[in-house]
Amino acid sequence: MPLWLLATIVVVGLAAVALLTHLLGWSRARAFVDEAEAMRAWDREFSADPARRADLLPGGHAAVVHSVRGTGLVWTMGLDSTARPLEGARLQQTRRGLTIRFPDMAAPSVTLPLDPSERDDWHRRLQETLT
Amino acid sequence: MTDVSYPDVVTLAVPLFVAAILAEIVWIAVRGRDGHAGRYETRDALTSLLMGTGNVVSGLLLGFIAWGFFMMLWQITPLDLGTAWWVVVLCFVLDDLRYYWVHRFGHRIRWVWASHVNHHSSQHYNLTTALRQTWTGTFTFMMIVRAPLILLGFHPAMVLFVGGLNLIYQFWIHTEAIGRLPRWVEAVMNTPSHHRVHHGRNARYLDANYAGVFIVWDKLFGTFVAEDDREKVDYGLVHNLGTFNPLRVAFHEWVAIFRDVTRPGLTLRQRLMYAVAPPGWSHDGSRETSDQIKARHRAAPPGDAEGPGLARP
Ligand SMILES: [Zn+2]
Ligand SMILES: [Zn+2]
Repeated sequence: MPLWLLATIVVVGLAAVALLTHLLGWSRARAFVDEAEAMRAWDREFSADPARRADLLPGGHAAVVHSVRGTGLVWTMGLDSTARPLEGARLQQTRRGLTIRFPDMAAPSVTLPLDPSERDDWHRRLQETLT
Repeated sequence: MTDVSYPDVVTLAVPLFVAAILAEIVWIAVRGRDGHAGRYETRDALTSLLMGTGNVVSGLLLGFIAWGFFMMLWQITPLDLGTAWWVVVLCFVLDDLRYYWVHRFGHRIRWVWASHVNHHSSQHYNLTTALRQTWTGTFTFMMIVRAPLILLGFHPAMVLFVGGLNLIYQFWIHTEAIGRLPRWVEAVMNTPSHHRVHHGRNARYLDANYAGVFIVWDKLFGTFVAEDDREKVDYGLVHNLGTFNPLRVAFHEWVAIFRDVTRPGLTLRQRLMYAVAPPGWSHDGSRETSDQIKARHRAAPPGDAEGPGLARP
């Protein structure tokens, strides 16, 4: 098969999958409905360090989790979720909200969309857990 | 025998891959509203497809290294089995045994896992997951495991041809749309059910079912775990990724190895272990290997502590 034909099939295929799944509504990001769901998502990642309490962020796309050993963040990834301890993370306020950078190539950063009014409050609360 | 050549079957199969993926999407949309036929998510599927594309590109760029190595072996071996059909069949079966061991090393040696991890990095299990293939396979040096085949007299072109067929076989088993197949098929062949287990991050499903085409290798070498209807497979990594960026998916574990190996204050042995010990090994016990995860689950809740995949080694 000539390379140009292969490349065309790949590009058309990628576009078709993107369009079709998007039109079917499968690109809508999941949101945690409550603290309990966020805690279950945390426990799924860190079953050896279960969640004791969670604070859901506005919008439900992330939650700060207080576990037995420390504090972490659990957030939605597409229809699923992942989580990381907050130890070693850096915080930065951006135009869209608050960005958390992890020292982890596989989970580099999460931006929590927050209104300007909520930003300072969450920045302070997260900073407290880091120090 | 100088000009042995076979079609590049993986390239030829690409249109079929695309058609089957579109068909699976339509099938799930029509039949699987409750999720039992599978799930798709746009960014996840695109990442998988870009990983597959990158795999083909990396083959075009780096394939000459493995090919050069194989041709060198072909020059030195006095054996030549020819190209009869039964030689191709034998080559296919032996290459599937080769696949089993390369795949097992891929889960038990962090250096090889750094390449293979990306195949497991989706939390979905659909036909696009099959195409989520490595870009860095050349750097694992696992082409060495193919050396015996070539030294035995199987032509390098034949070895690559049957390897391509093996990869194509594994495409269709990456689906939740197929439940169980007839008993004899499940007994001999790698199937969607067996391979779902392999993609599971549940303690009991870790490090199981390394087979490519024939599941018999797992039964022979003690790594077979059957899908348990009481424990739904949870797909993905023990610690799931927080990125859809294909570059990060392709290279994150290599970077993590580099960071661990170059940590200050480690002994030479500890540095080596960070590169070649099973994934999750750490010098201070701060992480868990799959064996330790299984041990913790054996110890934890009653009722969960028995059965296949959690039995004491
Ligand atoms: Zn694997
Ligand atoms: Zn797979």
